[in-house]
Amino acid sequence: MKTDLFWRFRAVQIALILSGLAIIVQIIHIQNSPEAQAILDEGERYTGSWQTIYPARGEIYDRNGRLLAGNRTVYEAGVDLTSVKNVSEIATAAQLYLGLDYATVYNQITNPESPDVVYVVLDKYAAPEDVLVFQEFQKTISGNSAKNLSAVYFQPHMVRSYPERTLGSNVIGLITIDGGKRSFGVEEKYDSLLSGTAERRWIPSNPHDAREMPAIPSSTALILTIDREVQSAIENILDNSIQVYGARSGVIIVADPQTGEILGMASTPRIDPNQYWNYNDMVLGGIPYNRGVSQAYEPGSVLKILTMAAALDKGVVHPGTIYPDLTGEIIVGGFAIRNWDNAAWGNQDMTGCLQHSLNVCLAWVAAVQLGQDDFYAYMQQFGLGHLTGVDLAGEDPGRLKLPDDDDWYEVDLGTNAYGQGVSVTPLQMIVAASAIANNGQMPRPHVLKATVQNGRQDELPIEIIGTPISANTAQTLTQMLATSLENESSLALVPGYRLAGKTGTASIPTDDGYTLARTNVSFIGWGPVDDPQFIVYIWLEQPTASIWGSETAAPVFKQVVERLIVLMGIPPDQIRLSLSGQ
Amino acid sequence: MNKITTLARKYRQAPWRTQRQWLGLVLLGVVMAAMVAGVYLNVTARATLAGREILDLNYEIAANERANADLQTDLAEASSEAAMQQHAQMLGFVPARPEDIVYVVVPGYTPKTGVDLSTTTGQPPASIILPEYRQTLFEWFAERIQSSAPAAGGQQ
Repeated sequence: MKTDLFWRFRAVQIALILSGLAIIVQIIHIQNSPEAQAILDEGERYTGSWQTIYPARGEIYDRNGRLLAGNRTVYEAGVDLTSVKNVSEIATAAQLYLGLDYATVYNQITNPESPDVVYVVLDKYAAPEDVLVFQEFQKTISGNSAKNLSAVYFQPHMVRSYPERTLGSNVIGLITIDGGKRSFGVEEKYDSLLSGTAERRWIPSNPHDAREMPAIPSSTALILTIDREVQSAIENILDNSIQVYGARSGVIIVADPQTGEILGMASTPRIDPNQYWNYNDMVLGGIPYNRGVSQAYEPGSVLKILTMAAALDKGVVHPGTIYPDLTGEIIVGGFAIRNWDNAAWGNQDMTGCLQHSLNVCLAWVAAVQLGQDDFYAYMQQFGLGHLTGVDLAGEDPGRLKLPDDDDWYEVDLGTNAYGQGVSVTPLQMIVAASAIANNGQMPRPHVLKATVQNGRQDELPIEIIGTPISANTAQTLTQMLATSLENESSLALVPGYRLAGKTGTASIPTDDGYTLARTNVSFIGWGPVDDPQFIVYIWLEQPTASIWGSETAAPVFKQVVERLIVLMGIPPDQIRLSLSGQ
Repeated sequence: MNKITTLARKYRQAPWRTQRQWLGLVLLGVVMAAMVAGVYLNVTARATLAGREILDLNYEIAANERANADLQTDLAEASSEAAMQQHAQMLGFVPARPEDIVYVVVPGYTPKTGVDLSTTTGQPPASIILPEYRQTLFEWFAERIQSSAPAAGGQQ
C-alpha cells in the first residue's frame, strides 16, 4: 500500500516536471520561431511611438534686436470618431466656437476618408482664444453632451508670426503654413538655418520606460542688418512719393557703402506675411516679390557715374578734360545720339557733363576715349550682368550685352554709356556705386548680420567682392558728383551735409522705340562725402507728375537723407569735422 | 566492517534534522526571492514614477517654450513700429527733423555698436542623467554575468 502511494506521488511529480519542461521548451520554441520577431514587433508597437520632432523655427531680428519674425501657438482641433455620440452637437459647437462650417464638419465626421479612420482633423490652425472659449463651454455642460464633446481634442503647435506685419516683408519673405511651402527673401535664403534639424525620437508610452529625452538641437536665429526704423521711414517715404508723383511702383534701398550692410529696402507692393494667402493677388501680372533684387530695368543716367569712373580710372579723361558739345549730337555705330534736351551745351568739363547729364559727352567718353574693350571690362568689374550674391532669394542678374553677343551693335557702346540698352537691378547699382563711395572697394551686399545658436552669437565678416577702380579715382569722382549737385542746386541737397549723387531719367523702350512719354526716374547718392555712412538708391516707375528724375527722385532722396541723419545720429559736417579734429 | 557501519549509524543525521535543513534552505531561498522581488518592485515603482515625471516635464517644457514664443510675439506686437508710432503720436510727439537735433559732446560716451543676443545658458547638455542611473537591475545583473564569463577565443 505504502509502495503504491509512493509511485502515485512519483508519477504526479514526473508529470508536473514534464509539464514544466514542456512549457519551457514551448517558450524557447516560440521565442525562436519565425513569427517571434513579428510578435515582438507587435508588442513593441504598444510601448511607444516614433515621432519626428521639429525645433521651433528660428526667430528673425532687426539689427537692434527687434523681432521681425517669431512663432505663436495655434491648435489642431480633431475628433475621436470612436467617441462621437451626437454629430450634430459637435458640428454646432465647432461652428459656434471655432468658426467652422457646420456642413463641412458634419460631413467630415459622418463620411471619413476611409472606414478605418478613427480621428479626423477639423482645423489645423485654430486660434488659442477660440479654443479657450470652446474648452470653457465644455466645462459648463454635463451629461451626455459633455461626454460627446469630449471627443473633440486640441493639440497645440507653433506657426510663423510676423509682428511688424507689412514692415520689411519684401526682405523678410514669408512661409506658408498650409503645406505648400512658398517662401521668399530671408525666409527662403536661410530656410535650412531657420528650420533647424528635425529628429526622430522614440516616445515611450510604457511608464516603466523611464527614458531620458535629450533636448533636440535648437534652430538658428538670425539678426539682420535691417534697421526697423530706417525700413519704416523709407517705406513711408516711398508710399507717399508714389502717390505724390503718380508713379506705378518704386524702390528705395539704403545701405552702408563701407560694409555692404543693407539698412533698409522698400519695394512695392507689400503684403502682410501673416496673411500669406493674399500673395496671389499681389503678384498678378508677374510682379516680383522684391523689385529691389528681382526686377531689372534700364536705369538711365545714374549709370553715367560708372562710365565716368571707368574713364577716370583708365586715365583717358580727368576732371578738367573739356568736351566740346557743339551740336548736341554724336554718331556712334552709324546712329545719332543726342542730349536729353536735344541741345548743344558748348564746352563742358567732365564735372559739367555729369552736372548737365549730357548723353553725347558720356557716349564720347565711352566710345572715343575709353573704347569698347575697356568700357565693358569695367562694367563687368562693377558687377553689371552678374548676380551680386546678396543673401536674398530671387535675385535677377540684369543684362549687359557684350560685343561678342549676337544682339550687340556698335551703337550699344554709346547708349550703354548713359544707361540705355543695359538693364540692372536697383541693388546692382547700389553695389557698383559703393565702389565709388568706398575708395574703390565693393563690399558684398548682405542682410544677415549675425546668427545666434545655442546661445552663441556669431557676427558675419565683411566681404569685398571687387575693386574695380582705385581709391584716388573714387575720391575724385565723389568730389565731382558732390560739386555737380551743388552747382545745379539740386533738390537732393540737404543743408549742412555734403552729398554726392546723380539723377537718372530713362526712357522706357516701347514697340515704337524709346519714348520720353514714359520714364523710369532714379537717383543714387551717398554721404557724407568724406566718410560715407549711407548710400541711397531711389527708383520710381513711370511718374506722371514729372518725367524727370531731378524733379521726382532727387527730392525723394532728400527726404530719405533727412530721416537717415536723424535716425543714424549723423551730425552736420561742420560739427562732425570739428569734433573729429579734437 | 561492522565497526564502520556502527560508526556511520552513530554519526548519521537524524531524519528530522535533515528535513529541517532542507526546509531551512528552501525558506532561505524564498526569503531571498522575496527580497529580490521587493527590491525589484520598489525600483520598478520608482522607475514608473520617474517615467511619468519625465513625460510630464517634457510636456511642461514644450508648453513653456510655446508660452515663451507667444509672449515674445505679443511683446513684439505691442512694441511694433506701428504701435509705437501711434502711441507717440497720441502723446503729442512728432518726428524729429534735422534742425531739431542738438548735438552734445559727452566725454567717455561709447555709442552702441549692435545688439547682443548671446546668452550664458547655451544648449542643455546631451544627457543630464548620470551613468549610474541608466541601468535596470536586470541589466546590471546581465552585465555582471557577461563580464564574469570567460572571453571566448582568448589567447593562451
